[in-house]
Amino acid sequence: MVVALHILTAALYLGAGVVAGVGLVLPSPRALRGSVSILLLGAVAHAFAFAAFHLAAAPPPLTDLPAAVSLMAWLAVLFFLALLRRVRLQALVAGVAPAAFLGAFYAALRLPHSEQALFVGSAAWPHAHVLLSSAGFALLGLAGIAGVAYLGEDRRLKAKPPGRARLRLPSLEALDRVNAVALAAGFPLLTVGVLTGMMWVETELGRLWTGSPHEIGSVLAWLVYGGLLFARVRARQPGRRAALAAVAGFAFLLFAVVGVGLFA
Amino acid sequence: MLGMNHRTAPLEVRERFAVADPAPLLTKLAKSEEIEEAVLLSTCNRVEVVALARHAEHARLRLRSFFRRELAGDAALPEAVDLDALLYEYADGAAIRQVFRVAASLDSMVVGEPQILGQMKDAHRAAVACGACGPVLSRLFQTAFASAKRVRRETRIGERPVSVARVAVELARQIFEEFTDKSALMVGAGEMIETALEALRGEGLSAVHVANRTPAHAAALAARFGAAAHGLPELPALLARADVVLSCIGSDAPILDVPMFEQALAHRRGRPIFVIDIGVPRNVDPDVNRLDGVYLYDIDDLGSVSAANAEERRRETVLAEAITLEEQQRFDGWLTALQAVPTIRHLRARAEAIRAGETGRALGRLGLDEAQRQGVEALTRSIVNKLLHAPLTRLRAEAEREEGLAYLEAARVLFALDEPDRSPDATGETGESRGDGEAGARVDGGRAMPAPAGDEEKTRS
Repeated sequence: MVVALHILTAALYLGAGVVAGVGLVLPSPRALRGSVSILLLGAVAHAFAFAAFHLAAAPPPLTDLPAAVSLMAWLAVLFFLALLRRVRLQALVAGVAPAAFLGAFYAALRLPHSEQALFVGSAAWPHAHVLLSSAGFALLGLAGIAGVAYLGEDRRLKAKPPGRARLRLPSLEALDRVNAVALAAGFPLLTVGVLTGMMWVETELGRLWTGSPHEIGSVLAWLVYGGLLFARVRARQPGRRAALAAVAGFAFLLFAVVGVGLFA
Repeated sequence: MLGMNHRTAPLEVRERFAVADPAPLLTKLAKSEEIEEAVLLSTCNRVEVVALARHAEHARLRLRSFFRRELAGDAALPEAVDLDALLYEYADGAAIRQVFRVAASLDSMVVGEPQILGQMKDAHRAAVACGACGPVLSRLFQTAFASAKRVRRETRIGERPVSVARVAVELARQIFEEFTDKSALMVGAGEMIETALEALRGEGLSAVHVANRTPAHAAALAARFGAAAHGLPELPALLARADVVLSCIGSDAPILDVPMFEQALAHRRGRPIFVIDIGVPRNVDPDVNRLDGVYLYDIDDLGSVSAANAEERRRETVLAEAITLEEQQRFDGWLTALQAVPTIRHLRARAEAIRAGETGRALGRLGLDEAQRQGVEALTRSIVNKLLHAPLTRLRAEAEREEGLAYLEAARVLFALDEPDRSPDATGETGESRGDGEAGARVDGGRAMPAPAGDEEKTRS
């Protein structure tokens, strides 16, 4: 059931991405609005997938990488849908939905073969760690996607002769705001995620730091994001530099957390 | 329809024919024998009279005389101007088509511009108010308005701005999400700046500053738009605060250069600046566009966006033309159906005359009391109505199609409606039996009314 619901979720996310892509190419505002509805349906299916997960093995083994990736994808979609209520971001479905599809599809493929958790331990710290880190990861992922969109729009608006947007895309200001909000909310969550991870290790192994690649990568990513946040708050860098930093930071985080998890 | 527009007549001629208050002229026109109904549309790009007339040739002459004598008024045309060569005319279906095209902004100088629909509504309202516009033209205009709204709803003909000022606002929207916390700086105080201020007026900017070489001119313009006036030496300080900068001032060299923008950006804490330079020669150093957070558009950039948008609008006209054609066919169906009215009325009158005559004779012989007489009257009326119901319903339905006119012809032959009524009952006292039915019909408030003899010659133009 969990896998079937993940497949359904992945299909809906993929559908949302395709419809949004079509909406951007045609261009068709109606298709873009439709893609948001499909994405919402995907999020609902994803919720059912986690409910089924919980019923099958309460609490669900979130510390397992496929489950954690699925959780990140779900949270990213939920955060995005929440932001959509405030800012005109429909065109970003074309970026968010494919990313969420990859997460859900990876989970659908790997969940049947996954073993129980990377670490086996008491439920509280591991689950707090995965939940908080995933939420932080999802928000920073959104900042990265908004950053990519910002760079594309910046390039188009500065081109000579100016590039034409066949559809009204999110404004640079809106994309920069998403970037700022996602970074401001994502970094504290990532911080608490790293701390709860250390507490988990301490509970299991009696020390806070083991020097594992996952730990090193996570702390480096945290430092990178701390630097980005500092630059954003103190230096008030222009939107383009902030967008570049968000993209680079998320690429590093992806490598440090998921990449290390995959190849370790 | 007779008129002139931006394609057929230059501005200096059009402005002589422009009418602020069409009511007196329209009232006079509608009172003339040749014209039944009329609407006068006068905008900066067109002056058109749409008229319903009995005879096309007479109406044509009357409308030309209307343009020459009444519309031109005292303003004599230059001798070199041949008014007839500047006027275009459409009759019948072509005239209807033109009304639909004008309402949908397919005939406008800027295709897709929204103002024409409001101007047509005003023209229609004025014509109705002075009694010049009757039910047929009202129906035509209302259908054209509905068609124009459908075009706006179902195509993207009006989405892309094409005027320089609107293009600039549209580009600003791609940079800024909202304008309520943004301020604008206008450099110059000429006509272009004034047009831009008009375009920006409704955008809700928090503050607008006008800087000019001659502060008095800046102050005069600023006062009209609730802006603040400044001199050019204040530009560096103003640049640090402005989010939108629009410059159009006479200058041999750029007055806004890279160092000025670098200095301004240092104080802006990462906020971008949108710069529109429509000065020729350019007022802003083009290298400014290389700075992070500065988006510079010159007149050529805006022109290329405008041209691309105009091209996109032109592509949408194919769909828009199809929509207006579809809506026009509905109106044509209504108009064709009007032709059934005389036949239907005539048939009813003939049947009623026969019924009344036969009933009268029978009642005279029977010697019934009043209640019984009324019963017989009701019975015969009911029989006639029921007999006629199906054929009349069919006639009405078929008459909406051009091919359905054969049914009307058949009815006239079968019931000998075109022949004098030789029945002994045809006394003409019913008022509708002889002659009236052949006279055509007028429509008043959606209800068919008998029209005077000669209506069969009525031609719409």
